[in-house]
Amino acid sequence: MSPKLRVAASIALKELRHIRRDPFTLAMALGMPVLLVTFFGFIIDFHYKNISVTVFDHDGTPASRRFAQSLGASGYFRLSKAHEGLTPDYALENDKSFSALVINPGFGRDLDKRGAGPSAQLLLDGSDNAKTGVTLGYFQQASAMAFDAARGQRSPPPSSPVSTRFLFNHELNSRWFIIPGLTVVICGLVGILLTALTVAREWENGSMEMLLSTPARPGSIIAGKLAPYLALGFCGVAFVYAAARLVFGVPFCGSHALYAFSCLLFLLAATAQGLFISIATRQQQLAMQFSIVSGLLPSLLLSGFVFPVDSMPLFFRWFTCILPPRWFMETSRDLFLKGAGLADLWPQFLMQALLCAVLLALGLKKFKTDLEP
Amino acid sequence: MSAAKAEITLEGLGRSFGSVRALDGVSLRLESGRIHGIVGPNGAGKTTLLRILAGLLRPGSGTLAITLDGKTPSPEKLKAALAYFPQEQSLYPDLSCMEHLEFFRDLYGISAGDFKTRAARLLEISGLARFSDRKAGQLSGGMYKKLGLACVLLHSPSILLLDEPTIGVDPISRREVWNLLYSFAKEGMLVALTTSYLDEAERCASAALLESGKLLLCGEPAELLKRAGAASFAELFLASTGGGK
Repeated sequence: MSPKLRVAASIALKELRHIRRDPFTLAMALGMPVLLVTFFGFIIDFHYKNISVTVFDHDGTPASRRFAQSLGASGYFRLSKAHEGLTPDYALENDKSFSALVINPGFGRDLDKRGAGPSAQLLLDGSDNAKTGVTLGYFQQASAMAFDAARGQRSPPPSSPVSTRFLFNHELNSRWFIIPGLTVVICGLVGILLTALTVAREWENGSMEMLLSTPARPGSIIAGKLAPYLALGFCGVAFVYAAARLVFGVPFCGSHALYAFSCLLFLLAATAQGLFISIATRQQQLAMQFSIVSGLLPSLLLSGFVFPVDSMPLFFRWFTCILPPRWFMETSRDLFLKGAGLADLWPQFLMQALLCAVLLALGLKKFKTDLEP
Repeated sequence: MSAAKAEITLEGLGRSFGSVRALDGVSLRLESGRIHGIVGPNGAGKTTLLRILAGLLRPGSGTLAITLDGKTPSPEKLKAALAYFPQEQSLYPDLSCMEHLEFFRDLYGISAGDFKTRAARLLEISGLARFSDRKAGQLSGGMYKKLGLACVLLHSPSILLLDEPTIGVDPISRREVWNLLYSFAKEGMLVALTTSYLDEAERCASAALLESGKLLLCGEPAELLKRAGAASFAELFLASTGGGK
C-alpha cells in the first residue's frame, strides 16, 4: 500500500471508530433515514382517496343513480346523498364535504344525445388547490367510466379528440414520485451534515494541530475523511431502496449499476460539500448551520423533490444547475420509474461529475496545512 | 533511537499577529543530544516560537535554519524527522492508547515489525503498558501527556518539540516525564520544550528566558544563575524584567 493510501485508510478507520462511539453521529446517520422515509413515505401523500362528495341528484333516474354509484366504485370518492334542504354552497362552506356533484334534471334523458349532452356540475373546494387539482384529474378519468355505466353500455361513448394516458406512473401515485426523490434528501443529509462536522471537530479538539505536524498530506486527510461517510451514505441509499421496493412497492425499471454509480457520484459531491464547509468554518456549530442551509434546503426545495424546477422563476431554474441535488433527482426518478439508460442520463452524470470535481478542488484548496490565522 | 544529528539556528526571528508583536528578534541555537528549555510566563511567545519550529507558523522576519546531519532537508523529510506535541488537548478522547499508537504508526509509515518493538518499548518506559486499552479521555493528566509523547516518538524523530509538556501534571508524573526526556536526549535527540514553570529551567541543558516576545537570557541554567547571583530562575526572571526592584 502506498504511504498516501495508508494514511487515508488510517484516517478512515479512525473516523469509523469515532462514528461507532458517537451516539449523535450514529443517530443522525441511521435514525434520520428511517425518520425521513416514515415522514415522507407514509404521511406526505398526494394520492388522495375517499374524497368526500355530496351528491345532489335532481334527475333521480336509474341512469343518474348508476352514474353516481360508478363514481363511488372508483375508490377515490366517498359519496353521500344530500339531505333535504342542504345546498351545495352550504356543504362546501361548512366543510361538510370537499366537493359537491350536482346532477341536473334531464341527465338520464340526454345521455345519448349528441351536442349539448347530459348536464352535471362538480363543485370543488378551491382553498386546497393541491387536492382540487388531483380531484379534478381523478374525476375526469372516473366520470368517463361512470358515463359508460350510466348508459349501461347502450352505445359507444362519444369520442374525445384528445385521449390521456399517464406513462411510467399510471395511477399518478405520489409515493412513486416521492420515494425515489428521498434518496437525494437522505444522501444530502448524511453526506453534508455529518461530513461538515469532521474537520471542524479536529480543529475544536486541538487534534488538527498535531495532525498537521505529521507527514499526512491534505489529499490523504480528505480522502480518509470522505470514505466512511460515503459508506454511511450508501447504507442510507440501500435503506431507502429497500423501503421503496418492499414497503412502498415502487417499481425499479433502470439499471442497478447505473443507479449505484449515480448515488456514488452524488454522495461524493455531498460529502465534498460538507468537507468544504467544515474546512472553511473550522467550528462545528457554524458548520452545522451552514450545512443545513446549503445542504438540506436545496435538496428539499430546489431539487424538484416537491416543486418542479420547470415551474420556478428563470433565476432559480438557472441557479439549480449548480446544485448537485437537482441533477441527482432527475437521475433517481428516471432510473426508478422510466428505466432510463446512460444515453438519456449522460448530461445529468456530466453535471454531477463536474460539480463534484469543483467541490473537491475547493476543499483541497481551502484545506490549511498550517496554523496561520 | 534518533536517526540524524539535528541543529536549529534562529537569527533575529520575529512574528506579529496584527498589532501584537509575539516574537521580537529572537536568536538561538539548538543542538541534538540536549534538552533546550524555552522558559517564560504566559504570553511570552513560547508557543509561537515552537509552532514556527514545527513549521505550523511562518516566521515574520529573521531566519530559521534546520539541518539534519549538516544538510538542509526537504519539507517532507523534515516533517518525517520531527515530532511535535502541542499544549492543548490534541488526542482523541474516544480512542484507546493502542488505537492512538496504531493511528500514528500509519501516519508515519512505520513497518509492522518496527512498530511492535517501538510501541512495546514506549509503553514500557512511559508506564502505559497496563493501560493500552484505556481511552485517552479516561487517562490522568500525566498519562495523557505520556501517551502524546509515545505517539510522536513512535517514528524515532531527530527533533522533539513539546509545548508545556508538564502543565497540569502532578509532581510525580512530572518527574517521570523529565526522566523520559533525559533518556531521549541521551540517545542524541534534540529536545526543545516550553514551560511556564520557571523552576523547570534548571532541569534543562540550556534555557532561553522569554518575555513579551523578547529573549532576555540564554545559556546553561547554572551559569545564568551564577552570573546574575540569583538563587532561582524566578528570582532571575524578576531581576531581568525589573520586577524585583
